[in-house]
Amino acid sequence: MNLVLRLAWRNLWRQPRRTWLTTGAMVFANVLLVFMISLQFGMYRLMIENSLQAFTGHMQVQARGYIDDKKMRQSVPDIVPLANELREELGSGAVAARATAFALASSEERSYGIAVFGVEPQFEPRVSNIPGLIGEGRYLESNDAAELVIGAVLARNLKVGVGDEVTLLGSGRDGSFAAVVANVVGIFDSGVAELDRTIAEMPLGLFQDVFYMHGSGHQVVVNAPRLGQVAEYRQRVAALLPEDEDLVVHDWDALLPGLKQAIQADISSAVFMYAVLVVLVAFSVLNTQLMSVLERTHEFGIVLALGLKPGRLGRLVMLETALMGLMGLFIGALIGGALTGWLGVQGFTMPGMDEMGAKFNLPSRLHPQVTFASLLSGPAVVFLFSLLASVYPALRLRRLQPVEAMRAA
Amino acid sequence: MRYPITIAAFLLAGMACHGAETTPDARAIVRAAVDHWRGVSSHSVMSMLIHRPDWERSMTMEAWTKGDEKSLVRVIEPKKDRGNGTLTDDNEMWTFSPKVNRVIKIPSSMMGQSWLGSDFSNKDVARADDIVDQYDHTLLETGDVDGITVYEVRSVPHEQAAVVWGREELRIRDDHVLLEHRFYDQDGELVKTLETLQIEEMGGRTIASRQRMAKADAPGEWTEIEVISVEYEIDIRDSVFTLSNLRNPRD
Repeated sequence: MNLVLRLAWRNLWRQPRRTWLTTGAMVFANVLLVFMISLQFGMYRLMIENSLQAFTGHMQVQARGYIDDKKMRQSVPDIVPLANELREELGSGAVAARATAFALASSEERSYGIAVFGVEPQFEPRVSNIPGLIGEGRYLESNDAAELVIGAVLARNLKVGVGDEVTLLGSGRDGSFAAVVANVVGIFDSGVAELDRTIAEMPLGLFQDVFYMHGSGHQVVVNAPRLGQVAEYRQRVAALLPEDEDLVVHDWDALLPGLKQAIQADISSAVFMYAVLVVLVAFSVLNTQLMSVLERTHEFGIVLALGLKPGRLGRLVMLETALMGLMGLFIGALIGGALTGWLGVQGFTMPGMDEMGAKFNLPSRLHPQVTFASLLSGPAVVFLFSLLASVYPALRLRRLQPVEAMRAA
Repeated sequence: MRYPITIAAFLLAGMACHGAETTPDARAIVRAAVDHWRGVSSHSVMSMLIHRPDWERSMTMEAWTKGDEKSLVRVIEPKKDRGNGTLTDDNEMWTFSPKVNRVIKIPSSMMGQSWLGSDFSNKDVARADDIVDQYDHTLLETGDVDGITVYEVRSVPHEQAAVVWGREELRIRDDHVLLEHRFYDQDGELVKTLETLQIEEMGGRTIASRQRMAKADAPGEWTEIEVISVEYEIDIRDSVFTLSNLRNPRD
């Protein structure tokens, strides 16, 4: 084996230019893959985290069926005590109760249909970005003051500013008329058009009063410390729910199915592109190895005549490819990792990023992140396919007849 | 689509010569039914029952209508909702809530939303007359229920009509009482049905005194309106149908 390895290494450097060219193709593909995959998955993580941080949170406790029907009566009873209990049991402050209703918001001049949320002002900042994105005025403070925080686009549409009154008109939980006049104390600008246009927040106490909720609400938002811990936290939360109520915990991909779908769609189109790249590299390896095998027919005939087994010759050719592949892998991962790492520190931007950023809740400057998986997954696939490509030239050797081969030019 | 209507119109015109009483044209049937229900003017007290699988809610309302366009509805009971009301005039709608003491105009984007929490939409209330002028009417069938002639009319909105329905089908008795009104979407799927449950002689007319609006895709969800008392053709001042009267009743 040692001999075969040494032979393979020497064979590679009999044609240094050809070896470098093929390795170069691999290196190029690998650098590209490392960069793209790092960027892509870094972006997904940002998309998920930013979307969830904005409002949805990692998971929500809701009444069964609420996620589909969104009916006001599908509520979680005694929601504030439940939220308090979850906070205590989980030992985490990132738990906040909310209630929500559809309402007609009117200023002096205009009216719009919006979603009103009753929130716990002291805990909401732990599960949502909105309290931190107040551009004008302040966030809610007391739990029952007639105060309102609205999105920037809604404020513009209604033509109201901080200090102005907005009337909310809707239906209470029991179907009766719910109406309240509240002062706008703050205007948030999240950059997510949908939130800025359609959402108003008021203190949960006031909301429960106005909409006849009798202490109930619609969602308890719970955030895990990291996205990776969502599944574990979800189980813990589910175990803590009172058994006599029909409550369920939904994690983010159930709450925001569009987000996961967008990511999956993006992954499949990217995978197709990567596949094309890998196949191209594999063909260039196939081409190189086939050529190198064919031009050595005479020589192979001689070693076969001397008694070398054809299987060993096949291994030799595979090994040559493997060596070349390993070189490509290491050099590619090294350059790709270094380049991506540098861009990760520096950050970079692409034309059109602002627009896409607003849509998917991304910053306009990107910082790709190199991880073990993003560094090695692409190059490993290239390596595998290169090996696969050398199977055909290697198999050809098995059919080689020593005498005929030696006669070949 | 134009053909059947033209043909129907021809046929009807032909038949009209024989006997105007037995086969009036489809549009006239609808027109008469709407006029019959609303009168030139009316003043009524109605109760509304909103039914859901797990709860029910009822309220009593007083309503005034005048002509095709003006109507005022005010909640009398339950007490906590007393004074809430809606005013419609020329396809526009305002709502008033005493809790906030404010009159709010319903934006057109909200006209498809539920009216006072019921299965009726704001549009159902504000635009009840659109069906006469903005639709083409075809008489589908002339039947007979309990010895009274019943017309089945299909009404298809004009292309440019601002209507969400694909078509509507009405069953109207010869004496102008509406028996059934089915609303279909643009794909021809039944969306909701207004059904007359009880017919009574009230205010000098035979009217549908109890009607139920039910959504086709949500069995167990419906709203019933029952007329408790009604007067027709009375003199109602125009000042009843004003924003200030919506806000401060002057009776």
